Amino acid sequence: MTDADRPLRIALADDAVLLREALAGSLTAAGFEVVGQAGDVAELTALLQRVEPDVLILDVRMPPTHTTEGLEASHAIRRDHPRIGILLLSQYIETRYALELLRDDPAGVGYLLKERVTRIEQLADAVRRVADGGSVIDPEVVSRLLGRPRAHSPLDELTPREREILGLMAEGRSNSGIAEQLVVDAKTVEGHVTRIFSKLGLEPTGGDHRRVLAVLRYLRS
Amino acid sequence: MADPRAQPRPGDLALLAALGVVLAAVAQFGPFLYASPLRTPLNPVFATAAFIGELLWVAAAMAAYWRDPSGPMWKLLLASRAVSALGAIWVVNTSLTWTVWEATIGLGTVLFAHLVLAFPSGRLVSRYDRWLVIGSYAVLAVARLGFVLVWDPRSGNCFPRCPVNPFLMWPSADLAWLFGPGLSLAIPLLAVLVAIGLARRWLRASPALRRMLLPVALVAPLELGVSAARFLAAMSQDAWQGVGITLSTSPLAFLHAAIPAGFLLGILAARLARGAIADLAVELSRGVPLGGLRDALARALRDPTLALAFPAPGGVGWVDPHGQPIDVPAETTPSRSVARLERDGQPLAALLYDPAIEAEDPGRLGAVSSVASMALENERLAAQVRAQLGEVRASRSRIVEAADAERRRIERDLHDGAQQRLVALAMRLDQARGRTADAGAIIDRATEELLAAIREVRDLAHGLHPPILTERGVAAAVEALAERTTLPVRVSIPPDRLPADVEAAAYFLVAESLTNAAKHAGATAAEVRATLDGGLLHVTVSDDGRGGADASGGTGLVGLVDRLAAIGGTLAVESPPGGGTTLQASIPLGGGAGK
Repeated sequence: MTDADRPLRIALADDAVLLREALAGSLTAAGFEVVGQAGDVAELTALLQRVEPDVLILDVRMPPTHTTEGLEASHAIRRDHPRIGILLLSQYIETRYALELLRDDPAGVGYLLKERVTRIEQLADAVRRVADGGSVIDPEVVSRLLGRPRAHSPLDELTPREREILGLMAEGRSNSGIAEQLVVDAKTVEGHVTRIFSKLGLEPTGGDHRRVLAVLRYLRS
Repeated sequence: MADPRAQPRPGDLALLAALGVVLAAVAQFGPFLYASPLRTPLNPVFATAAFIGELLWVAAAMAAYWRDPSGPMWKLLLASRAVSALGAIWVVNTSLTWTVWEATIGLGTVLFAHLVLAFPSGRLVSRYDRWLVIGSYAVLAVARLGFVLVWDPRSGNCFPRCPVNPFLMWPSADLAWLFGPGLSLAIPLLAVLVAIGLARRWLRASPALRRMLLPVALVAPLELGVSAARFLAAMSQDAWQGVGITLSTSPLAFLHAAIPAGFLLGILAARLARGAIADLAVELSRGVPLGGLRDALARALRDPTLALAFPAPGGVGWVDPHGQPIDVPAETTPSRSVARLERDGQPLAALLYDPAIEAEDPGRLGAVSSVASMALENERLAAQVRAQLGEVRASRSRIVEAADAERRRIERDLHDGAQQRLVALAMRLDQARGRTADAGAIIDRATEELLAAIREVRDLAHGLHPPILTERGVAAAVEALAERTTLPVRVSIPPDRLPADVEAAAYFLVAESLTNAAKHAGATAAEVRATLDGGLLHVTVSDDGRGGADASGGTGLVGLVDRLAAIGGTLAVESPPGGGTTLQASIPLGGGAGK
């Protein structure tokens, strides 16, 4: 989907105009093409009739009820426009919503704390991963789940390095992404992943994004 | 009390008695004072019995006058005797008296129907009754007037005498038949219509009114049936006339006296029922349970429909003994009488009662209310306290509701305002970073602080009202809360959506308890369990901390108790020193009391 010569096309949906404009500016400056903006779900639906962006960045909470319109809209958009990657932003992170988003098909979706947009390189990374069909889960979700106090758990068996890699898997990173992040080679990462799965008693899953869901569910149980 | 009635005057009563006795005597013995070839020989037994029957009517008229001198009842009763006495003039052998007698035949029957339908107040209440009575008078007037204008007594068989009709204008035997015997065919119809009117009244009557209507309802249709039979017999030939005479001279002739007898008995029974007031006094002196006064008064008044109302605490409106608002009509209506009682010039209570008990026994209400005055005062205070308690509950629940709404509003304001602005500002700083190499470190520092501020505002807003509580309910919100708590927390809450105030109360109970467990109790684990049981949500939060929590001590717990109480919930705290803390709340789903 990503054509190296063509900038990624982004659409924004958020009722906070100030923030939307700032975000559009940042994304444009970072080399993305902002192809449309919407203030609510109705505008967004109309916008998607006209243009099909590579990635849609939308706020969970929008008019009219200011609850979880963005989350509900993302289910519909995934059904109607399966090629659009969706990056959901939220002022608060709820594990439940992350799982709800991943449940249908974890490919090409992301769920980030809104303040992550303040680091444009982090945001750009997330946008590219979503556009590539990967999944992005906010580190806050992962740290919350990993940091949960537990009585006794196979997690205690993991080495610090394995915990770190588990966290990166839960954030939706691929083996090569993890290798890049940790500055090790992909083979090493693969070995760690296999050991982690066997220690936790998880079935090896095909594909990186299936892995996200399995890991998150494991951590949440 | 109800409308002020005119006071009966003993002099007028004596006059009424004298007039009544004279009319009764004329009716029964008059014919014998006049030497007439027409009268039958005096049967002393029959005449005396008939005279006693007449005296019952007079006594009933006197009783009716005594209880309601300005009302129509005693006039109707007296009029019926006057018509009865008028019947005696038939023996006077003059053309004029004979014709007048002819002209007034049937008046007694219609008057009887009128009296029956107007019983016991003398007033015709329903439209059906009014039209029936007016129509009967009108038909009778036309028929008798027409009769005397066309009837020539000398034209036919005028045995035993043939007086001249001084009013005869257009002699016509056919018309005379139509106006006379012909129209008397309407008498059975009248009997049926009156019976229908009585049945309608009976069906609508309150228990008190039925007690009074009973003798009338039993006797009147029978009496009218006998009248009808007599009229039919009178207009028929030969053999049937014998039946008419038999009916006139048999004990059935005294049937009508059952009406005044029933009236008098009703008054007597109502008087005797005053004994219930003495019972009431005894019952009240022993003390009735709070709220039981209405039943005691209803028994003493013999009015099961009685309702009690007390002035509302604010002085506006009324409340029932339970403190609930109740409507008190400004004026007495035909179906409901209102007595407003006062004590020392202050409104004490209002009694909403069946107007029929006034007719049954006008003094009873006054007697009952004076006996019950002190008990009413107690009940008034209790009702007012209950009403105030209800108001306080309602206002407490409104305060919590308003506070919750305010928390939601502030959370949303922070979300839409400060949080978005801070994030936008951080983005601008981020954009600036790449452009000013010198200020990079300062911008990094500022960004760090800004991100810290964003987190603080986020935590503040989330603590005010977590959006997931509104979005996904208490189970999801508590699970999310457990994820963020530094203790292992086991959560078991049914996923059902509940009323918002219940969800908020349960959520903040759990949030406060988990904070206490983690921060103050030194707990290593906690458990949250909730179950739905009928109309109640039971929430239990337990930890293994050091215990010693006290619902009256820590402000957090007091706040929880208040919040729960506002929606009718309760909180039990078990926290022995060193033995962990268990909080158990029960929250009604139907909203708090007094809402």
